[in-house]
Amino acid sequence: MKKRLNVLLVAALAAFALPAAAHHSFAIYDMAQNIEFDGVVETLKMRNPHMSMTLTVTTPDGTKKTINFVEGAPANMIVRMGLNPADVAVGKPIKAIGAPRKDDPNAYFLKAIILPDGRRYQSVGN
Amino acid sequence: MLKSATTAALTAALLALCGCDRAAPEAATAAAAPQHPDFSGLYFPAGRQQDPQLPKYTPAAAAAAAEYEKAFTLDDDPGRYCQWPGMPRAIWGAPFTVEIQQQPQDITIYWEGYGMYRKIYMADHSPPVPLLPSAMGHSVAHWEGDTLVVETTNLKQYPYMTRQATSSDAHVVERIRLEERDVDGVKTRFIVNEVVLTDAKIYTTPIKITGTLRHRPDLQLLEYTCTDALWDEYLNERGLTLPDLDALPDSQG
Repeated sequence: MKKRLNVLLVAALAAFALPAAAHHSFAIYDMAQNIEFDGVVETLKMRNPHMSMTLTVTTPDGTKKTINFVEGAPANMIVRMGLNPADVAVGKPIKAIGAPRKDDPNAYFLKAIILPDGRRYQSVGN
Repeated sequence: MLKSATTAALTAALLALCGCDRAAPEAATAAAAPQHPDFSGLYFPAGRQQDPQLPKYTPAAAAAAAEYEKAFTLDDDPGRYCQWPGMPRAIWGAPFTVEIQQQPQDITIYWEGYGMYRKIYMADHSPPVPLLPSAMGHSVAHWEGDTLVVETTNLKQYPYMTRQATSSDAHVVERIRLEERDVDGVKTRFIVNEVVLTDAKIYTTPIKITGTLRHRPDLQLLEYTCTDALWDEYLNERGLTLPDLDALPDSQG
């Protein structure tokens, strides 16, 4: 598992990204964090008001761990950015960037999806 | 004199038989009818401007707001549970496509976000009477030149004090017009909607907010089903698992 902690100001939002006032405050998440996970899509729910996903990651000692992205962008928003759901189908390798819940560090907000060819779909933050 | 009267009566009878007596005045009216702007098309929200002064609550509403803010956080979000924001909040609402279909008798607006829709009835086409209070209310409109003026009443209360709350006494007046603006050298159509919200149970003064939509004929209006997660929660509580039909083999093996 590649894990990197970055403390960044979440200020400049990507085009089409969730506006700061959208939907709810995300205050339950530590949105300053950008934790990267390389893994394989285990489950995917492309739906509104928020998509969700679990990712199987392999740790350096070879054990597998499930990362739970309990919510991300609305499905309509991320496909409008250009994400093809087939590219994140179960079994596909991706990189995902998450922000953990403050009260449950095993649950994440899905901030971005990066495909193996480098295409990036950012729902919030940078 | 008698001959003239007889001829006139005969002419009237013939006109009545052929229906020409109705058609002719309507045609004349149609020819003289003013050409109003047509808002029809696909749009995307393009901003909101609000009166810089914060809305002033009535004393009773201020007390309700204080109680609300003690108990609720911004994450206690009715939208998360698929409650429509309703009027007037829909005007500056979620970042999803909006489609407008305009007819002489009414205007229908579809918001992709939350799957909301709304009817605006034209006052000169016998609008129906409102039946039930609703999230979008009952809207009746008339033209003032090229501006569509819409009055909305019959709203359900929206008691979320940090989200532009409204009581069922709320009265919303919109003044909606088309504007053409230059966007990167391209003339682009915008709809500018100046909203005035009056709600004497909550606010001491009217609230003025302007919402803007940008014409985006390249977009689609997607389905926005919002209740899947709620249904999943119910199934989990009941310990039920639905069959995964997509995982079944097809008839070709």
